[in-house]
Amino acid sequence: MGLRKQSPKSSASEDERRLPRDLPGLITALSAADPMTRRWAARDLAARPESCPALIARIAVETETSVIEVILTSLTLIGDNTAVAGLIDCLRSENPMLRNAAIEAMKQLPDEVAPWMGQLLEDPDPDIRIFAVDVLESLRHPQVEDWLIGVIAQDDHVNVCATAVDLLGEVGSERAAPALQALKARFAEEPYIQFAADLALKRISAN
Amino acid sequence: MTLIPQLIKDEDFRKFREFFYRKTGILFEDSKRYFVDKRLIERIEATGSEGFRDYFTMLRFQVSGTELQMLVNAMTVNETYFFREEYQFECLVNSILEEIIAHRRDKAAPIRIWSVPSSSGEEPYGIAIYLLEHWPRISELDVEIISSDIDTDILTQARRGHYSTRAIQHLPAPLLKKYFRRRGEFYQIEDSLRDVVEFTRANVTDPADMRLHRHFDVIFCRNLLIYFDDLSRKQTAESFYDALNPGGFICLGHSESMSRISALFRVRKFPETIVYQKPWEAR
Amino acid sequence: MKRILIIDDAATVRLYHRGILEGAGYSVTEAVNGLEALERAAEGPFDLYLVDINMPKLDGYGFLRELRAKDIPQTPAIMVSTEAADHDQQLALASGANLYLVKPSKPAQLLAHVRLLLGEGQTS
Repeated sequence: MGLRKQSPKSSASEDERRLPRDLPGLITALSAADPMTRRWAARDLAARPESCPALIARIAVETETSVIEVILTSLTLIGDNTAVAGLIDCLRSENPMLRNAAIEAMKQLPDEVAPWMGQLLEDPDPDIRIFAVDVLESLRHPQVEDWLIGVIAQDDHVNVCATAVDLLGEVGSERAAPALQALKARFAEEPYIQFAADLALKRISAN
Repeated sequence: MTLIPQLIKDEDFRKFREFFYRKTGILFEDSKRYFVDKRLIERIEATGSEGFRDYFTMLRFQVSGTELQMLVNAMTVNETYFFREEYQFECLVNSILEEIIAHRRDKAAPIRIWSVPSSSGEEPYGIAIYLLEHWPRISELDVEIISSDIDTDILTQARRGHYSTRAIQHLPAPLLKKYFRRRGEFYQIEDSLRDVVEFTRANVTDPADMRLHRHFDVIFCRNLLIYFDDLSRKQTAESFYDALNPGGFICLGHSESMSRISALFRVRKFPETIVYQKPWEAR
Repeated sequence: MKRILIIDDAATVRLYHRGILEGAGYSVTEAVNGLEALERAAEGPFDLYLVDINMPKLDGYGFLRELRAKDIPQTPAIMVSTEAADHDQQLALASGANLYLVKPSKPAQLLAHVRLLLGEGQTS
């Protein structure tokens, strides 16, 4: 009893031995009964971009949050066009956890998400537009300010504009000032918009 | 060339504070203003930026994230010494281990503790000493301490167990006497401890390495994730989830929070500190 | 002084609500998502929670469900969201919110909700 050196068998893994760890084996393991087996399969598939369609298909039927999280991480690590298209589909999900996790994943993929941004910011569903602005928050991309200016100049939904103003206070430059003034005039009855636009203007001119 | 002293304006400080808080979970109170300004100005000058605005734009949009990393390094002081953040060890013996023993399914299995990154070994040896000194049940149960690092040079150092006076400065004198031998400028840790702590090489973001590190009851991972980007952090947290037994705990550094990384774990508040737990019912 | 926890991922919204609530004499603490809010709540206690719905890591519904599962005195909570549909309001109330406020909020309306739940009437 007491402290002792790790016994050689302690780390031996059992579950993933049952299925071969080649591509077909891993894809089969994605629908195994044991969630841990599914997580390990999803984790290992991050090294196999060709598994993207299988990972995306699994999200639609997966019930275990922990498995969905690992699948989204793997899609982000793969980060190609197919993966991004799959993440964008998640934005329309009824499951709020999945939507929010997809937004976070998309924030990690600026170059891949950028080509979709124009389209997302014009989506008829204001929720999708809010999600798109949310994605802009962490997108390290040179066009972010232009997109945001476009949103506050044109979007007629107050909460889409509110989300964009919040971010402009951080990334905006003098260029955003006229659009911020115009926004204040457009939503003169909304105290929050007045507050957020004033704050953004103050931060922009502080520089 | 004359250096014009840089100034961080109030609004810039607030803007920076919000950004940094969102990226790292570290919130600087107004009282830290001087400290923050000083570090920011150092980085503005080191990067040859024209001023805060210029620097902040780079920080935000730099695709590699290198500068954010440099800034995190500058804003966090990372020293390693024996019994650093000792309240977590108190939590381990008073609360965590008791809960694990009471609830775990396999009562005969050894309790497994993983300390990662090992650095030069202060943490895993410190845990061993703390358990021997403050946890009477160590005599009834088997405990394994495994410690890993990505850096093989540092692993060699950790196995050797040579420490400077700085590393042992917070150890009470009787413990120093009991577990170390003085050798000139250095303190050599006892072989009895070197023999029970297992050191292994592991990259926590590599699934192949993680597969070899599993079935733990407690993971100490302090002041590592703060140096990762968001995605690596999430990936590591998810791997830790599968490295833990159900009900297993993760202890992070005092300025780190799992709340910014992953929703897989439960927040557990104990008298000594907040730690994170894989739910007992997790599958 | 009554303590209120504001939970919202948008910094400007937190600042806006903080200004309104501090102006009315409340003490305010902030959290950026549901998980961080659970940590703050564990350190608590708070007299009221002001909760956004869409947040990363753990959304407002999830926060309230976890909170209600262990919060014995049933601290009141107001859910604030961009979503005005009946369905969302019902979901908010079902997960444990006491009142629902549609964003963007108006100061007078917010304070009226807060005072109602804190049992302070309109006089304070």
